[in-house]
Amino acid sequence: MLTDHIEKYVKEHGFDGYTEIRAQSNSSKRFALLKGTMVSNSAATSRGISARVVRGGAYGFASGNDYSPEGVASTVKAARDNAEFLESREKPGKPDFSPVAPVTRFDGPRVDDDLPRKFYADFSGELDAYIAKKYPGLVSRYVGASVLNMEKLLYTSDGTVSHSLVPRASVYVGLTAEDKDGQPVELFDALGDYGYFTDVFTGPESIFPKVDELFEKLMQKREGVYAEPGLKTVIFHPDLAGMLAHEAVGHTVEADFVLSGSVGGPCFGKQVASELVTMVDFANTAFGKRCPVPVYVDDEGVLACDAVLIKDGILTGYMHNRESAAHFGHEACGNARAYSFSDEPLIRMRNTCILPGKDKLEDMIASVDDGYYFVSTGNGQADATGEFMFGVELGYEIKKGKLGRAVKNTTISGVAFEMLKTVDMLSDDLSWVCTGMCGKKQPIPVGMGGPAIRCKVNVGGR
Amino acid sequence: MDIKKIAEYTLQKIRETGADMGRCSVKSGATTEIYYESGKISMIRTVFSGAVRIGIIDGQREGTAALNSFDTAEIDAAVAEAYEASKHAVADEAEGISELTENRDFVRGVREPDRAALYGLMRGFIDDTARDYPKISFDSISVNHGWSETCYMNTNGVELYESNGLSGFGAMFMGRDGEVTSSFNSVGGSFADTSVPLMDQGLTRQILAETELQTETVSVEGKFEGEIIMPPHFFEDVIYQVCGLFITDNVLIDGTSPWKDALGTAVAAPILNVVSRAACDELPGASALASDGYIAADADVIRSGELKTFLLSRYGAKKLGKERCPGWDGNLCVEPGTSRLEDMIKGVKKGLLVNRFSGGSPAPNGDFTGVAKNSFLIEDGKITRPVSETMISGNFSDILKNITEISCETVNNGSSVYPWAKTSGVTVSGK
Repeated sequence: MLTDHIEKYVKEHGFDGYTEIRAQSNSSKRFALLKGTMVSNSAATSRGISARVVRGGAYGFASGNDYSPEGVASTVKAARDNAEFLESREKPGKPDFSPVAPVTRFDGPRVDDDLPRKFYADFSGELDAYIAKKYPGLVSRYVGASVLNMEKLLYTSDGTVSHSLVPRASVYVGLTAEDKDGQPVELFDALGDYGYFTDVFTGPESIFPKVDELFEKLMQKREGVYAEPGLKTVIFHPDLAGMLAHEAVGHTVEADFVLSGSVGGPCFGKQVASELVTMVDFANTAFGKRCPVPVYVDDEGVLACDAVLIKDGILTGYMHNRESAAHFGHEACGNARAYSFSDEPLIRMRNTCILPGKDKLEDMIASVDDGYYFVSTGNGQADATGEFMFGVELGYEIKKGKLGRAVKNTTISGVAFEMLKTVDMLSDDLSWVCTGMCGKKQPIPVGMGGPAIRCKVNVGGR
Repeated sequence: MDIKKIAEYTLQKIRETGADMGRCSVKSGATTEIYYESGKISMIRTVFSGAVRIGIIDGQREGTAALNSFDTAEIDAAVAEAYEASKHAVADEAEGISELTENRDFVRGVREPDRAALYGLMRGFIDDTARDYPKISFDSISVNHGWSETCYMNTNGVELYESNGLSGFGAMFMGRDGEVTSSFNSVGGSFADTSVPLMDQGLTRQILAETELQTETVSVEGKFEGEIIMPPHFFEDVIYQVCGLFITDNVLIDGTSPWKDALGTAVAAPILNVVSRAACDELPGASALASDGYIAADADVIRSGELKTFLLSRYGAKKLGKERCPGWDGNLCVEPGTSRLEDMIKGVKKGLLVNRFSGGSPAPNGDFTGVAKNSFLIEDGKITRPVSETMISGNFSDILKNITEISCETVNNGSSVYPWAKTSGVTVSGK
């Protein structure tokens, strides 16, 4: 657990204006094999101190890797100096944030997750051996096991004292085969969840069924065809709905993007989706269960609560930090998050989810005369216009209500608030993607969830 | 602090483990950033950083550890951790460390940031943009100065040191006309001379002007296969995609690269020359050291369309029994051609000026599909209308083979130099 060097500093020096002081340690381990060759056997710890001071609306931030009593003092001083320099030049003349109710929370000492490096090597080796033995015809295979533990200790001038600990464990499997033309075709699967490694994965054998499923899909993909480009009726598997929630909608309603001109601004309070669609950025608990990335207190010391973004098709909310919440007169829900000790808090999603509907997936597929069923995704990207895209790693044709041939890699795109209006079926189940990382100046772990969705999107192809 | 002393200490601790060989890299740095967002210069940020990376090889088994503390007790623990990890690693004959050839120090740039000068650049850029491009709305602007020093040592006696301090900027923005917005666009680069206004860096003016036009777009109707003009920033993306997919360690080791047997053969149009470049006056953002413990050097990657080298590290080369590329992780550049950009555009009957690509990860064979962002239709030799909701698909290998012209004009962003190029065989599709 992080030693508390901040408390003593605060007792001796107090705060001089609005100030956040945060100590943080990110520790990670990773072991990976590419076709049996070890390509990663690493452990890393990144620990340090940061401070953010606000003077009349001007922010000063400083951070350093010297997390000691002296390091705390020099970091706060450097942050204050930066804020005073900027205030003297820009003279923004804004009042300090209105205080929030102070929060005191401790996640407690770190559970001993200090598994020996041998554990990850053996786990990965056993999984790799299973693939190599059972599927010798593969051109290549990739197996990786990793953990990331993020621990934070935050003091704010409002009186918040928060200690948080968020562990995350992941296993990555990639399989590559050749198609009939000798071209490589690959599929990846990322498995993981909140928790320590042995809490999330009981053993390599627990992943064997996932490997078998991935291989079966790969065999279908190697016989796959290119998608026909154009506007199509598609069914998104629940695993893709989270990506849709995150990329297509989530980014456009982050208040910093709204302030810089995102399409989310003029659409506030308007119908942006069919009435079937309700979307929430959950703080820590959804449907009675802990979310993939639980946030209880954010890095501005705000007690986290759920942010309802779309309610019955109406855009009802943005995600905020304290400054943007004050600007819009909204409630801050705890979306200000920093990845590393050296990062300032940014407005970030937490667990963004489209809520389930009442349809059955099989009925949804049966309802499509000519379209696609997309089941696996890779990366995604959003735009200020609301135009989004994400890569599809595997899909299937739907012809007259029946699944057909597999579809090779493609990309889908659309304009979020136009596409959401075409949503006419939502399945009654829900899937969370628990291994997602969002990139926006800094990386950050996020959860993404949703049901199967029927809608119209633009499909790339040949 | 003296990072050479920290590296010496770490290396001594590695030697004391009794392992066959080991290496360490110690890095220290400071970054000062002035940041603009939500309509104002919002923050000044100072980051002091440090890192120690340790690699230990015993019995051809490698273990690594990394930390960001220079505390000797923590370094001792990290060395022990890396040594312990090596015991459980997979043995690999290709594991190893760089050989001693020449130990050198490379010192460049300015160490101390000039906060007032950085502020002046930021303020000037905001004011210039408001005056000359009033439809531009910034999402963020970062003007920064970074200084870092790195010391690499290994048990073969290699001792390499590099320090560099330079400034840089990056801006993300959109065009706004009432409630209508364009796609995000961006500019950026690194530079040593802080007296040059940001507006005069690279293609900044041109990209801002183009973005103002992108609030009113058309979607391509149906699909067509036309010619593509690739501006320097998009051309650079294509070259990095090609190299990552076809000629780097992992794809050659696992045998999935379609170019695995292509060394010495034509992989691109004969007018294409791709080089990897190390630090030089022209590229202040390039590094003098390769990350596998060697002094970086320039290398021909593609010369007259022929693949001259794989971008193999020491490990990759040893694993495959091939030659290490001295510029395997250097900065890739494309040499200028002989065509004038204006003439290249004039020759396009129907095509697209693709400024940015937003797409899914390409397939291992180079197939890609994605959205053409900030892009314009070219019709009868003229750039006409900005497009939206327009997708492009093709194959990265084919893009290089189909290059027909490369411009004599180039853009240097401080880390790379690229011209414009014209290619074909890309499917453009709309709704």
